[in-house]
Amino acid sequence: MAVIEAKGLKKEFKVKVKEKGIKGSLKSILRPKYKIVKAVNGIDFNVEEGEIIAFIGPNGAGKSTTIKMLTGILYPSSGEMKVLDIDPTKNRKKLAYKIGTVFGQKEQLWMHLTPYDNFKFFSAIYDIPEKEAEERIENFIKVFELEKFVNTPVRNLSLGQRIRAEIVASLIHEPKVLFLDEPTIGLDPIVKDNIRKLIKKMNKELNTTILLTSHDVSDIEKLCKRVIIINNGEIVLDDSMQNLKYNYLNKKILELRLKDKINFEKEEGIDVIKEKGTNLKLELDTRIKSISDVLKLIDPENIIDINISNTPLEEIISDIYKEERK
Amino acid sequence: MRKYLYIYKSEVISSLSYVLNIVIGIFSYLLLIFIFFNLWNYIYSDSSDTINGYTIGDMIWYISITEILWSVAGGRKFCRKICDDVRSGNITYNINKPYSYIGYLLSSHLGEVTIKFIIYFISAIIVGFIFVGSFPEITALSIIGTIISMILAIIINSLFIIFIGLVSFYIEDANPLYWLYSKFLLVVGTLFPIEIFPEGIQGFLKLSPIYVITYGPAKLFVDFSVEKFLNIIIAQIIYIGISFGLCKILYKKGVRKLNVNGG
Repeated sequence: MAVIEAKGLKKEFKVKVKEKGIKGSLKSILRPKYKIVKAVNGIDFNVEEGEIIAFIGPNGAGKSTTIKMLTGILYPSSGEMKVLDIDPTKNRKKLAYKIGTVFGQKEQLWMHLTPYDNFKFFSAIYDIPEKEAEERIENFIKVFELEKFVNTPVRNLSLGQRIRAEIVASLIHEPKVLFLDEPTIGLDPIVKDNIRKLIKKMNKELNTTILLTSHDVSDIEKLCKRVIIINNGEIVLDDSMQNLKYNYLNKKILELRLKDKINFEKEEGIDVIKEKGTNLKLELDTRIKSISDVLKLIDPENIIDINISNTPLEEIISDIYKEERK
Repeated sequence: MRKYLYIYKSEVISSLSYVLNIVIGIFSYLLLIFIFFNLWNYIYSDSSDTINGYTIGDMIWYISITEILWSVAGGRKFCRKICDDVRSGNITYNINKPYSYIGYLLSSHLGEVTIKFIIYFISAIIVGFIFVGSFPEITALSIIGTIISMILAIIINSLFIIFIGLVSFYIEDANPLYWLYSKFLLVVGTLFPIEIFPEGIQGFLKLSPIYVITYGPAKLFVDFSVEKFLNIIIAQIIYIGISFGLCKILYKKGVRKLNVNGG
């Protein structure tokens, strides 16, 4: 069952255009000029129940605007959308009971209250009866290991602890769909890993559907089975993580440590990325040249060490963005 | 309703972190009362004189009460926060929750000013007594009536500030409007009772927010009667209804215009 449906979703913003200098500023007061910016330009996609889906794109691609439309914060200029069979623009309040949101760059917790008091607060906001709320909170504290800081005011927590508390606060009403907007931004690798484990756990234990935006490719690689890439307000790719890797992993990186320096003749399908003494780094397009083709070009006796790796996913995604720009 | 009580409660707890700031703020309140005490002493050549029905004691008590309302419910910070939230798009983090945004703002502001109100009220009673030397004719009923009226006044003032803040949906910066409103409240509504003004404009002032925000509660404290109490309370309830309705309309229309940049 599709829990999120978007069809021809568009959002246009009217932005004031101002010419430079004082003259331009005065002119814009007397005769303001506007331009229309298409933040989201007719996107279609569905998300099934229980999926963890990566919704990624460069800055200004339209990710957050889409999330804000899906959560009922922004009104779309045109198009249709449904989240859990509810139209967010018509029934924002009803939808709010069923979805959760975490914006990594913005705290929703009360800074002077402890996480425990915050959880009680959010329980009241979502009309959860007192006794049930206490049971849920106790359970979340155990599952997400918050015992050590649950009674410390939020303002005194580390960023990692705060984000964990933020996520629990957004889960207190057991939402069916969770929108995570860059939940690991600014966190160190260990805390990031903890947060990822936590996200996986809630998806597994509560069957929460998760729509995740992140600039951190490891988040996407480790959590999501499906990726939607958005650029300039349009979806440029909607595919499984497996296909993304398969279709875009034609390129291999070959790192060679040689006994004697060799001169590589320029050949189609082989790029010399780096050459330093007897160390050589090549990029290989396996559609044109296979690894054995390259190895045939080098005397095996001359090779001390060899390392073959895939192009990092980060580069693949950035290539997709660039292709789209062209 | 439970959720709004929780918002209120959470804000009261948060405001306890700033008790010291509130106590320090009392000094400016005391300074103002001291200036007016001397000013009225100068104007009243004889302490038995009355000006437009007010003795010097009534005047000092009047300004003690209006000044509490002006200082406590002032809300410059509150208005700026609403304006900034609307302009920066931070408002989005509040409107995706299952509560009314206006209800949220109101309960949160009331929570924020509660401790301040209690501290200022107690200080005003002590300082007023030190300056004047006696209380006006007060009874348990007049005290309760005054406090109810002061609470309603703070609610009305909060709704006015919310309304001004929400104007930011339409104009670049609504803070200047707040400045005008607060200065009107201070100069016309806080420092002098309505009766001091020329008769021609008294009628207008009695219909203006001044009647329900500052004049009403202070008048009840210095000269309480059940009739006055009912008149003021009814006017306050009407004001609350109208201002709440206006805030809702402005918000409903404004939120559609919301332009929020992506992340």
